[in-house]
Amino acid sequence: MSRKISVVLSIIMVFTFIVTLTNETGFGAESDRLVEVSLITRPKASSPDEFETITILAEEMRKVGIDAKVDVMPWEQMADVVWYDRESWDITGWQMTARPERLDPDEFTYNLFHSSTAETGYNFIGYINNEYDEVAEKQRVTVDKEERRKLIYKSQEIIAEDVAYIFSVNPMVNIVYNNQVFAESSIKEMAGLGIKNFWTYLYAEPISDQKDLVLNSNDTVQAVNPLYISGSVDSWITELVWDRLMRMGQDGLPKPWAAKSVDWIDKTTIRVVLRDDLRFHDGEKVTVEDVKFSFEVPKTGEAPMYKPFVDIIDVINIEDDQTLVFKLKKPWAAFETASLAKINIIPKHVWEPVIEDLKDKPENAESYQEEVPVGSGPFKFSNWKFSEEVVLSANEDYFQPPKVDKWIVRFVENMEATFGMIQNGEINFLATYLGDNQLLQQRVKEDEKLTMVSSIDLGFRFLAPNHRIRPFSDKAFRKAVAALNDRELIAALVWKGFAVPSDGVISPALEYWDNPNVNYPEAGLQNARKILEEAGYEWDEEGRLLYPDA
Amino acid sequence: MNLRWKYLIKRTGQMLLTLWIIATILFFIFRLMPGNPLVAYIDPTFTEEQQEILMKQFGLDKSLWMQYIIYIKNLFQGELGQSFFFKDSVINVISKVLPNTIYLMLTALIIAYTAGIVGGIFLAWKRGEMIESVGIVFTLFTRAAPQFWVGMILLAIFSFQFDIFPSGGVSQAGTVYSSELDKLLSFQFYRHLFLPALTLSIYLLGLPLLLMRSNMLDVMDESYVEMAKIRGVSKIRVLVKYAARNAFLPVITAMAVGIGYAMGGNVVIETVFSWPGLGRLLVKAVSTSDYPLAQGAFILIAGVMVFMNFVADILYSLLDPRVNIDSKR
Repeated sequence: MSRKISVVLSIIMVFTFIVTLTNETGFGAESDRLVEVSLITRPKASSPDEFETITILAEEMRKVGIDAKVDVMPWEQMADVVWYDRESWDITGWQMTARPERLDPDEFTYNLFHSSTAETGYNFIGYINNEYDEVAEKQRVTVDKEERRKLIYKSQEIIAEDVAYIFSVNPMVNIVYNNQVFAESSIKEMAGLGIKNFWTYLYAEPISDQKDLVLNSNDTVQAVNPLYISGSVDSWITELVWDRLMRMGQDGLPKPWAAKSVDWIDKTTIRVVLRDDLRFHDGEKVTVEDVKFSFEVPKTGEAPMYKPFVDIIDVINIEDDQTLVFKLKKPWAAFETASLAKINIIPKHVWEPVIEDLKDKPENAESYQEEVPVGSGPFKFSNWKFSEEVVLSANEDYFQPPKVDKWIVRFVENMEATFGMIQNGEINFLATYLGDNQLLQQRVKEDEKLTMVSSIDLGFRFLAPNHRIRPFSDKAFRKAVAALNDRELIAALVWKGFAVPSDGVISPALEYWDNPNVNYPEAGLQNARKILEEAGYEWDEEGRLLYPDA
Repeated sequence: MNLRWKYLIKRTGQMLLTLWIIATILFFIFRLMPGNPLVAYIDPTFTEEQQEILMKQFGLDKSLWMQYIIYIKNLFQGELGQSFFFKDSVINVISKVLPNTIYLMLTALIIAYTAGIVGGIFLAWKRGEMIESVGIVFTLFTRAAPQFWVGMILLAIFSFQFDIFPSGGVSQAGTVYSSELDKLLSFQFYRHLFLPALTLSIYLLGLPLLLMRSNMLDVMDESYVEMAKIRGVSKIRVLVKYAARNAFLPVITAMAVGIGYAMGGNVVIETVFSWPGLGRLLVKAVSTSDYPLAQGAFILIAGVMVFMNFVADILYSLLDPRVNIDSKR
């Protein structure tokens, strides 16, 4: 009898053990339906805003029963996983930073979401939508600005409707300057980039004995090379030393600059008339030959980073001493911004022998550093003290000479020290500040010689969901997560008010292109639950979210 | 063969072996770090062909072992490779900042060892008095205080509050020096050097001070010092001529080792004071996965450390005949 009891008890115990095991480890049918999400973020130390946004979202996801796990990894590892192992992750924190060429909506509209870039390009989320592809392609070739605006509006509507990204915020660019050194009216704000821009550097008017504009950067200069796109501080220098046919205006739209005029003859032909008063810093006149050479060098493969900006050009013909005609292989609406306002005009007499010499060598023009870089821009290269500073001097022969004597960028990695530096006059333009913005604002208020200008950034912060695998392959799930990601709360709590909620890839700073009326999910726990319910998601007895029953 | 020569050859062999081990560890440690260096240097919008060209340029298209063999071979030829970040040879990049690190290091060492030796003699002299206890606690405090903290405190007081010294760099914005000598003769340079050198010397002060003090106490128990005292030699003379001269030797050898440590210590101080030196370069190289540059900077720091240890050993055996260089005897 006792043997029978022990056999029965053993069977019950084994059965209980198996049931427990299957429930715990997910062997059962119901466990298969549990919604598990891993959220990738950089560490708090390197990206506090991203880390906090992800942590808050994970918490909200848990409230609707999603098994949310936060995976913290350094940028190198994160980028490696997200870019090169595209099937392996669920959702990741990400950001798009401001760059002048991004003032045109093409890069964000086309590269981020077009299906052709899904395999190895910028569409790392794997978003595929044929209707969207058509709109993105069409805006590229529509050179009529108003027509193109309608298409850009449409593209924003589709992205919001599909919740291709879980948008967070457009941060504010906060720049502080010394108002006793520069006249307030001479500090220029530029759409999406704040007051740290070409126009401020050109127009800043000294009103004291200090005639130099001294700014800080937390990064060092890699190279001062017109054929190499390296760090962001390098680009501040190249855009001042080298001129461009067009410049991005304060409104974010391209304007003729080194060119007297830029006219579209038809959809693929552009006539450019060069100014006749431009000279390189070595005294040589800037000619149409120099311009042609500047646009042709990247095609040789010696400047690979600039190649994508000139690939579209079929041929450049010189009509006369001041006129060039660009013939494109196909229409490209962003040509003015991404090519004419991007390519640095370089002196042929300096670079032609260099390019010739490099043809038989493994390295290319990116590794070449001129001893004294020669451009034709508003500032001349003066001095580069490695890891310490770069000094540019005003080009007084320029058609619109800068008002400051020198433009000096100091490399300061100790962010805590930078505010002290602007207070004691070591710098007079705080161009980079990575500390607490609220604290910065408070300290600026206490010091009447300082002014802080906050502008909406061109770049944006978001969460990139992987459309290739579930749960984010499901639009309803993305909508629910978008509703859980309270953008107002993130802007107020994480960014302490120094950000605005974002609902698209086009920054509100770009008034011409930004569609203010897109249909993006409203924030709220109840709304998220409702969306999930309507899409067939269920909850088990413990409140855990289950995929819709197949 | 002379016993000293044998010792010298043996120590040189040990030094080379240590350097090879360090070089090997450095090679693998960077490549085993999470993340792909390509992410930092190759824009994902590039075509595959463009990415391959860049990989070839960086030598990343070869197998790990092949990369290692090339690396060791180049190292023997004094070639540290090409920096990914600056697109220049590592030796060139390092040579631009090395003088600044040496100026900072030597100034700090001289201040620390001078103050340390004098302080050590003083504390030994005041043995058993209140001032000795206070001095020791203060010394231990300077030794334990984090360098960035000391640096920030000095910055807050001398730079931001009283505006006596500049907060960073080696010169005022826009200053142009015609040569390295011109820089060294400029008053501005020393104004910029003061705070970082003071921070580093506060950190370095503890070792010579405590070493000098304990050596002094040992030596002062020796019979020849006792004899001098009995003979009625003045206390100062006993301290300086009899005790300090003999207690001095271990401090000098410790200074050789201290040079090595000072190189490493610069990483934090150079960052706090934006001092354009090797330490800051090292931080940049590691944060941007610039393998060749990080390896080069580490090898240089490790090389100086190992070499100065070697120098300390040799100095010791040469200066003090009592030191036994033959372990079998």
